[in-house]
Order: sequence, then C-alpha cells, then structure tokens
Amino acid sequence: MTVAIIKTKAEQGIVADFAAHAQRLPGDAATGKTRTEAMAAFARAGLPHRRVEAWKYTDLRVALKAFAPIATGDQAQVSAADVDEALGSLAAIDADRLVFVNGCYRRELSTPKPQVNLFTLGEVLRSGGALPALKTDEAVVSLNGALATDGAVIDIAEGEKLAKPILVIAIAAGASAQLTTLRHAIKLGTGATATVIEAHVTLTGAAASQSNSVLEISAGDAAGLTHVLVGLEGNAATHIETIAATLGARTTLNSFQLTASTGLARNQMFTRFAGEHAKLDISGLMLGRGRDHIDTTLVIDHAVPHCESRELFKAVLDDTARAVFQGKVIVRPDAQKTDGKQMAKALMLSEGCEFDSKPELEIYADDVVCGHGATVAEIDPAMMFYLRSRGIPKEEARVMLIESFVGEALEKIENEKLREVLSEVTRIWLSARQA
Amino acid sequence: MLEIKDLHAKIAEDGTEILKGITLTVPKGEVHAIMGPNGSGKSTLAYVLAGRSDYEVTSGDILWNGESILEMSPDERAGKGVFLAFQYPMEIPGVSTMTFLRTSVNATRKKRGQKEYSTPEFMKVARAAALHLGVKDDMLKRALNVGFSGGEKKRMEVLQMALLEPTLCVLDETDSGLDIDAIRIVSEGANKLRGPDKAMLVITHYQRLLNYITPDKVHVLAHGRIQKTGGKELALELEKTGYAEFTGKAA
Repeated sequence: MTVAIIKTKAEQGIVADFAAHAQRLPGDAATGKTRTEAMAAFARAGLPHRRVEAWKYTDLRVALKAFAPIATGDQAQVSAADVDEALGSLAAIDADRLVFVNGCYRRELSTPKPQVNLFTLGEVLRSGGALPALKTDEAVVSLNGALATDGAVIDIAEGEKLAKPILVIAIAAGASAQLTTLRHAIKLGTGATATVIEAHVTLTGAAASQSNSVLEISAGDAAGLTHVLVGLEGNAATHIETIAATLGARTTLNSFQLTASTGLARNQMFTRFAGEHAKLDISGLMLGRGRDHIDTTLVIDHAVPHCESRELFKAVLDDTARAVFQGKVIVRPDAQKTDGKQMAKALMLSEGCEFDSKPELEIYADDVVCGHGATVAEIDPAMMFYLRSRGIPKEEARVMLIESFVGEALEKIENEKLREVLSEVTRIWLSARQA
Repeated sequence: MLEIKDLHAKIAEDGTEILKGITLTVPKGEVHAIMGPNGSGKSTLAYVLAGRSDYEVTSGDILWNGESILEMSPDERAGKGVFLAFQYPMEIPGVSTMTFLRTSVNATRKKRGQKEYSTPEFMKVARAAALHLGVKDDMLKRALNVGFSGGEKKRMEVLQMALLEPTLCVLDETDSGLDIDAIRIVSEGANKLRGPDKAMLVITHYQRLLNYITPDKVHVLAHGRIQKTGGKELALELEKTGYAEFTGKAA
C-alpha cells in the first residue's frame, strides 16, 4: 500500500512558479523539455525529509516553509566595489573571477582568462546548446535541472597547469529573496591542474537568497584539483549544494569547505574513484551560531583498488546552532588496498547547540584500511587556565583555543595565501561573537 | 612579600579537603622550597596560588604585597606579578609559540600600565631571551608545546617566566622528568630571575633541584599542612631520611 504524501506549500508553490515562469528560463525547446521532466521528477519525489536516511537530520519538508520566487535573470545594479565588499576577506584572493549575480553571469564584473576554455552555461543554452542531463534520484538535483539559469563551465585541457586560481562568485543582490540555481562544471584533462574557489555571499543590504547549486567535477588521469567552497550567505539564507566528482587514476582532489553563519546549509558531495591510486582529501569547517543549521554529507565510492580518502571536518557551535556530519564510504568488492580515514570533531560553546555525526562504512573488500572517529567537546578548562595564568583575559583565551581547534582543519589548505584568507574569515566570525 | 594565612582548600567537584591550614611567609628577595611526599598538597598549593577554579578556598587568605589575591582571576594575578611554572605545561595545537608569547606578554604589560610591544619589537625581545635559554628559533614557530620534549617544555616555561617579568615565581616540580643537563639549564634560567624585589617558591619532591637553586628556607608539607621548617640543610636531611617521619602522622 502506498500512502500519498500531501504536498507541502513549498512543493506546491515551486511547481506553480515553474509553470508560470518556465518560458523565461534560458534554452531551446529541447532544454525546455529536459526542464519539464526534471521538474516532474522533483514533484514526484518531493522535498527530502527525515525518513529519507541521507536527510535524517536535515528535513527540508519541515525547514523550507516556502520557496522564494525563481530567479530568471535580472540585471541588478552591482559594481566591482560592491562585489569586493560582499566578499570581505575573500576579496584578497588573487584569482581570475567569474561573477554570478542572482544566478546570472556578469561579464563586466568578471575577469576570465582568455587562454582557458572557460564559458558559462547561460551562453551555452542561449546558443542552442543542451542542458546536460543529470541522472539522479536526488530531488534537489532534479530541482536544479529544472531551474538552472547559469553556471561556470571550466574546461582545463590535457597537461595544462593553471597558475592562477579561478574564483567563482555567486552573489545574492535582490531586495527580496530569490531562489537561485547555478550549475557548474569543472573538467580536467589528463595531467591538468587547477585551483577553483567557489564563494557564496550576499551583497550588503540585500536579501539573503535560497540557492541550490550543483557542481560536476570530472577529472581525467594524473590530474590535480584544489577545490574550495566558502558559504557566507547570512543567517537568513538557505544554501543547498551538490557536488558530484569522478576522479581518474593517480588524480588528486583536495577540497576544503567552509560554511559560516548560514541559516540552513546542506553541502553534499559524492565522489567516485574511477581509476586506481587516486586521492581525495576533503576537509572543512562548520561555524554556526544563532539558529544556524549546517549539514555536510559526504559519500565516497571506492569503486577501484588502491585509492585513498581522507575526511576531516570540524564544527564550532554556539547558541542553538546545529551541525551535521554524515560520511559514507563504500568499498566495492574489487577495491582492495583501499585506505580511508574519516574524522569529525565538534567544539560546543553553549549548552543549546547540537552536533550529529553519522559515519557509514560499507566495506565489501577484505584487504582495506578504513577508520572513522568523532569527538564532541567543550573548551578544555585546563588549557583555559594555562592561558589565563599567562595573563591572557578570558575572552581572548577562548578565541585562541577556538582558533587552536579549527587550526587543524585550516592547516589542510596547502596554498599559504588561501589558508591565511580563510583563517581571517574564521577569525572575523569568532570575533563577531561579542557583538 | 607573600603571606599565606591558615589556608584551607578543597577540590570543588567532590569537596575533598587538600590544604588544611597552611601558613607561610616568603619575604621579597628570598627563595623558599616546599618539599613533601606525593599527595601532600604541593601541586594544589601551586594551583591555588595561581587561581585554578578546580579548587575552592574555604578559609584563610593569600596576600601578595599586602593585597589579597583570592578574589582575582588567574589573568589578574598574572598582572600582579604571579607566575606558575607548570609541572605539566599544556600543549596548544594550532597556536604558534611566538603568537602565544606575544599575546601573553602584551596582555600582561597592558594590565601593568606598560606600553605593549609591536610585533617586530617583541620578536627581538623574545629571540634574545630564547637565546639565553637555548630555545631555538624553530621552536618559537611551532605550535605551543606540541611535540616538545620534556626538557623543551620546561625551558619554554622558564622562557615565559623571563618574558613576563613576574615578581612571585612558583615553580611546580620543574625538575620532574628532566635529566641533569636540562635541570642545570632550567635552574640557571630561574636563578637569573632571582632579585631583591622577587619572591620564589620552589616546589619539589626531590632535593636535587635545590643543588642548583639554593633556597633560603625549606618547608615540609604533608597532609595539607606545613610540618616542619628549616634552612637549606633540611633538604639534605630529608634526602637521607625520606618522608617517613611525616607520612606516619595521618590525621
């Protein structure tokens, strides 16, 4: 017997909004059909809720009361100085920029490198190209497929070593909230290396948005990608991000994900090892206060032997903030000599905060090394006493110990300049506590 | 002058009384040793002097230069010149030793109404002090005490003591876990900090540290009270007879 689930207001609303505005979304008739199918798939599945195991701690049916109007592309007045202001410390990153405002690429604010094969999904769609279909049973990805307006398409040719990072900036700039949908793709040819930083920010004075982004990473053999995701959209924002990565043989992916003060964030990443001797090193920080809810969900598919995965996530939680870490590692029957380690640690600054950590190891091979761990702690009173006995006042000592806690994750960022910038973002978040 | 007056203290969590009426005076310019068997309350006394909140003072008082420090926080006490060299210094990952030292010294200078050091000024001061104690530049860049050997940690304590310019130094088992060479280096560092304006309390289980830091007086602590006070020769006597005479007197 199937029980019909009553559609929530948000689900009904988005279906109606799509029906009314679909013709304003970019793309030809074929793309229109792809969108309609994707929307139908979303409508069938509905928003993920707590009975869906992977969304156990982040029930979107409950959390998302309503969707904001679909962003279909506007030209909000935004200057380069506004972009820098919204970026804050991130503006110091020396990079080629691709700027998306309310889900639309803005050429005049961007500084793409001419020699790199770099274009945007909006251009592709407007010139009659197809919206890449996504095979997925993730409702949020279906929703992305229906509504995607734009995104960065970064294609690094075989053997090319990109010296300067690419900074992909998504800015919410509307006077009222919008639902923005970006679809990015990063493709690395054999032996190619690049650094791509994704920043999600809100313009000063603008309404925080709902964003539902998808990033597809496909890396050939012996490639190297450093990926950084920074979410600083504000306490009123909802941020959903799905990253799907496929790594070729001997390829390394370093990913660092920092989410600070986001009302509702779900960052989910699915990585599949397609070639042997590849490495994934993913780490990050979840910094929450007020009623923030930050969810990091990682699925790593060791489909082939001799691959290595490392996961280290740290949460600093205050007030009634909540962080979720779910780490699933699948080791397929053939994937002998798999080496996987996972660690999630939370520092609780108040009694009202919550940390949920759920490791899931599905191991079908017998010659593997897989480990996981989780800790939840308060600030160590013995360390606190040591610092204060050296004349350091309480608040300063506290900040120092929180910095000490997050330092282990930040140290994973190899690029010194980038590490310094993200440390600064963390420091600013910490110092905002007293205000 | 340090005056400890009939000090009683218990473990805050379970109420166990550890200090049961300690009375002790250390005039400026003097070094006093506190010796005693394990569990006599030596480290508790050190922590209570520095203001650790795990212990609750139930009666008595601690005066430093005529002012009660009991109600002061640990950092306020540091501002007043109190310094405790820890038996087990804490490891603080992710905080560089140099950053910690600068924060600590500047916070203390601020409390004393002295001008704070700029970063380059402080680097100069810290490097010069480090050189005297054989603390390598590399150690100053590393995370505080992380991966330091026992000797390196104790040298780091003495370096902090030199930089913070305390007037009341409490050394808690500074010799524990050190070989003779390390004891000599650490003691030389501590001896340099002796002076007419300073009082020093050296807490130790063994007499050997007192070969290097000669005390003016020796107090024997057992069962939470001072059982005997004498000159430096008392330490040598204890080395021969042990603490049996005092441990027998269970209350």
